[in-house]
Amino acid sequence: MILDAQGIEMSYGALKVLHGVSLQAEEGRTLAIIGPNGAGKTTLFKVLTGERLPSAGTVRFRGEDVTTLPAFRRARLGFGRTFQVARIFSELDLMANVVIPIEARIRAGGGSAGPRWRWTPMPEVRAEAEGILERLGFARSRWEDEAQFLSHGDRKRLEFCVALATRPGILMLDEPTAGMSPSDRREMTRFLARLKTETGITIVMTEHDMDLIFELADTLMVLNYGEVIAAGEPSQVRDDPLVKKVYLGHGAQHA
Amino acid sequence: MKLAGHLALAVLLAVFLLAPFIVHPGLVFIAGFAMIQIVFALSWNILFSYAGLVSFGHAAFFGIGAYLSAAALRYGWNVSFLLIPPASFALGAFAAFLVAIVVLRRANGIQFSVLTLALSQLVVVLIGYSPYLGHDEGISAIPRPVINLGIATLNLANPLANYYFVIGVGLVTILLIWLVVHGPLGRTMQAVRIDPERAAFVGIDVWRLRVASFTLSGGFAAVGGSLLAPWAQIVHPDYVNWLASAQPIFATLLGGVGHFWGPVVGVLGLAGLNYFTRTFVGISEIVVGASLLVVVLVAPQGILGALRKAARKRKAAAGAHP
Repeated sequence: MILDAQGIEMSYGALKVLHGVSLQAEEGRTLAIIGPNGAGKTTLFKVLTGERLPSAGTVRFRGEDVTTLPAFRRARLGFGRTFQVARIFSELDLMANVVIPIEARIRAGGGSAGPRWRWTPMPEVRAEAEGILERLGFARSRWEDEAQFLSHGDRKRLEFCVALATRPGILMLDEPTAGMSPSDRREMTRFLARLKTETGITIVMTEHDMDLIFELADTLMVLNYGEVIAAGEPSQVRDDPLVKKVYLGHGAQHA
Repeated sequence: MKLAGHLALAVLLAVFLLAPFIVHPGLVFIAGFAMIQIVFALSWNILFSYAGLVSFGHAAFFGIGAYLSAAALRYGWNVSFLLIPPASFALGAFAAFLVAIVVLRRANGIQFSVLTLALSQLVVVLIGYSPYLGHDEGISAIPRPVINLGIATLNLANPLANYYFVIGVGLVTILLIWLVVHGPLGRTMQAVRIDPERAAFVGIDVWRLRVASFTLSGGFAAVGGSLLAPWAQIVHPDYVNWLASAQPIFATLLGGVGHFWGPVVGVLGLAGLNYFTRTFVGISEIVVGASLLVVVLVAPQGILGALRKAARKRKAAAGAHP
């Protein structure tokens, strides 16, 4: 069990948004969290990534209690994260976007990313960054472009480069296809499928796109009013009458 | 654009190095003063354009260097003056570190800026109480030192030696600042400025990075201050107050936000404006203020920002009609 959350409760003032949610992510598997708007997906996600402190409950990563660990420490332990709206270092070029997390990882691990006065990245760092950019389909001619001029889809791809550069043990994806066109969605689905088979990485994601979920997810968890109403294999969960009632029947119009 | 930039930099360097031989002593004095202001403004810009922090009280750190240097010379401390700029760096950095670990713990953004202003005004008040630091009159009639270099001596009472000492220490400091912000540390600073949350999610300790940036910036500001005593021969609280803290802000806004060399262009622009309006008694400030207003309204990105935009436009136009 790479990620294990038990009895997560969360309140905003008098409003209780999570009622003792538990989840487990297994090494190399993909867990998708779905639920109608306001079900508490985003809050749960923030508790898992370290942006919010839960009112009760524990989060364990590889057996270690990380409940109160701030985001940067979780990132160093191996949490990679993407956001609903891609967050990249927009004023810097593509290369710097990838070099920064690599250097941060090396330094946090006690290694040397070269002397502080060296103004070009170390050859090893640069080579690793080049490898990541190439693998995600950014041509060499674009490496010096400023990230702010990228298209929506390319920003999402660059954000994956940034997240992968930290060499995460688990990828936390907050709606990876949010705001995408149908063709971009299909491309993202193919990309994630490839990533999964090539690297065998563990993925936890929230998502609305049912095609993507049934293509990728090994486990599906349905959240409603801050409670888990169903969890298991996607095909089983899909046929659960309660799930059909609160979510899928409604969401099927979109899918 | 890149070539033009390097060329402009080379010309500027040549002008600074040759100034005593091509212009009259009054302008040489302004050039030395400009170098001190450049170091100060660049130290402030480490925070503003790289780490994403705005200090409204940076003159406090400049003042630490200035008063340390002034006291050492005026009271004849038995140390080589060569040690004073590094000592100023250490003291300025230490003070900045203390401020950072206290203030950054709870505040960033505008609260942080206002607290730096309050703390710097506190320094002005403390100086006013200190007889050693000359109360409100400051330390004046500062003698210029003789520096023993082992193989030769450098007597700063000689105007030429004094000028080259200030320019030399200034250039070394500029080089150090350049290296800091262009290396891994500078890249991390930019990441934190652009998106602190994203930076945290790639494993960057945002708080620690901000403390480190503020510490370095305070140290470099104090080095700039340490050059003031031998150059101007007087150091007083006007160099420490909020108006002095505003100088690097004006210089950066005028020269170009987000550019390393922006503060340099700004300092030279302000020095030029002050020089050419010096005879218009009473309206000099109005001209300087109006110029700043024009820049902010017409070219909010500053002089370098406007130049870069014009260059991009020309390139785009050339691309459209080859």
